[in-house]
Amino acid sequence: MNIREKILVVEDEKSISHFISTILNNNGYEAMQARSGTEALSMISSHCPDLIILDLGLPDMDGTEILQNLRSWSSLPVVVVSARSHEQDKVDALDLGADDYLTKPFGTDELLARVRTAIRHTRTASGNDEIARNGTYTVRDLTIDYNKHQVLMRGENVHLTLSEFRIVALLGKYAGKVLTYDFIIKELWGPRASGDNQILRVNMANIRRKIEKNPAEPEYLFTEVGVGYRMLEGD
Amino acid sequence: MNFPSASIRCLFSFSWRDCLVSTGIFFCAVEFCILLRLADSSDGFASPIFVLAVLLISRLTNGYLFGLIASVLGVIGVNYIFTYPYMAFNFTLSGYPLTFLTFLMVSIITSTLTTQIKQQERLRAENEKEKMRANLLRSVSHDIRTPLTSIIGATSAILENPKLSPTEQQELLEDIRNEAQWLIRVVENLLSITRIGDAGTQITKEPELAEEVLGESVRKFRKRFPAVAISVEAPSVPLFVPMDPILIEQVLSNLLENAVVHGKTTSQIRLSVQEKEHTACFSVSDNGQGIPKKEFHTLFDGTLKHSETSSGDGKRNMGLGLSVCLAIVRAHGGTMNAKNLSEGAEFSFRLPLPKKEELSI
Repeated sequence: MNIREKILVVEDEKSISHFISTILNNNGYEAMQARSGTEALSMISSHCPDLIILDLGLPDMDGTEILQNLRSWSSLPVVVVSARSHEQDKVDALDLGADDYLTKPFGTDELLARVRTAIRHTRTASGNDEIARNGTYTVRDLTIDYNKHQVLMRGENVHLTLSEFRIVALLGKYAGKVLTYDFIIKELWGPRASGDNQILRVNMANIRRKIEKNPAEPEYLFTEVGVGYRMLEGD
Repeated sequence: MNFPSASIRCLFSFSWRDCLVSTGIFFCAVEFCILLRLADSSDGFASPIFVLAVLLISRLTNGYLFGLIASVLGVIGVNYIFTYPYMAFNFTLSGYPLTFLTFLMVSIITSTLTTQIKQQERLRAENEKEKMRANLLRSVSHDIRTPLTSIIGATSAILENPKLSPTEQQELLEDIRNEAQWLIRVVENLLSITRIGDAGTQITKEPELAEEVLGESVRKFRKRFPAVAISVEAPSVPLFVPMDPILIEQVLSNLLENAVVHGKTTSQIRLSVQEKEHTACFSVSDNGQGIPKKEFHTLFDGTLKHSETSSGDGKRNMGLGLSVCLAIVRAHGGTMNAKNLSEGAEFSFRLPLPKKEELSI
């Protein structure tokens, strides 16, 4: 019998908490439920879960408070659950250190995909074990060669510029995870870069024209409208 | 209730537009008097013309401020320029206080009437909005009740009949899921309306890449309707469009969904965006049954058409979805259009683009 990963579901709505836990328990995880922020904080320190699914709207405190508190002493992966129209909440949570987010309503496959990605990214320090092993990241026809600073499509170099390569490299390192515009800009152009994300978007548009068959139907680089970008994750 | 200071500020509001209007009218009056004097040397015409000017200014500006200024200036103008002795003040003329009083009264009465008319217009607009809100509520309650009824029905069927075959159970559960998805979409549309807010509040527009918003809408659409083929076209040059991307995504997903649900036989959808005459033109065309003729002229009248007869019960209308689309596009300062193609229908909307020089990076 293998040890199952423990996931703490912090959600005040009983029915939502119930269905998330059922899905997790039936897919090889061990789910625990917390109904309030204070309960969540005490359960985190006593049970040491492997992942937290955190609803941002809790009765006793704001979800971001828990996140801030947690991030002061732990890098435990956190997946935030939030409603569609609150994209600023998502951005704030991601910038505060959340690993990913789920938009209500979400399906089983989406939930499991986010959980898998978040857990995988904590296991390997470099974010992606393939990069650590081979210095490359491959998904479908796309290969990012970190040593040669090249991006290949079906083995052909697509000739990205330096900043284009750095964007793709960063997204590849965190493949499957959404990166906010701010995060990408700070990683690439330093903490004092302007908050204007136009340059990033123009770069992304150019990258898409080099990598994707149809830039309006991306297969590798997805936009999370109002939040950031996400690269396709390998199986 | 307004604070007194606020209402006073409202009555004596200042705006550059009003200032310009007043100056313009006043100068016209002066010019007109000068011209008339060339033809006729008597001064009798000056006063009536200035009274007319004061009346026009009071009518065309907000509040009392400009009317009052105009009446004072009018009196001075008549006295100084157009009454003997010319280019000099003479306050000893008989009947002068009467002229001054007339000017003042004309200004005050006209301003009062103008303010009242404007208030009534505002009240009527508010009433209209209230009516629209009530319509919306009725339409939404209806849209929500039907799926809820079937969800409750299906769940109790499963819970109370343990002997249902697995296929029957599966079917009922799928119904529940579909109905719940429908409900979610109704609610998303409602949330979009609250996001547009009242006419007073501006939506926050940021330049967004059109292809990104298109791509997202298509990705979500494919998940929901995997059977429908959809093709997407975006310009080869990145097109930045100022918009609230969440709202425009809502418009696109409503139009895509309508194409499937109301096109009935739709198997193919074409989604495109291109630059046309300083606008970004988004269009959704399908190969379905097209828009019925009798619904055509009520599609975009901005009201929520919902059959109030009981026979409409159980039918889903596209009123809410399209009204939300139209409201969103209008809030962006855009326009919306629908037409039937030789096969199927096409819905398109245009969003204004900024001037070229602002766009270049």
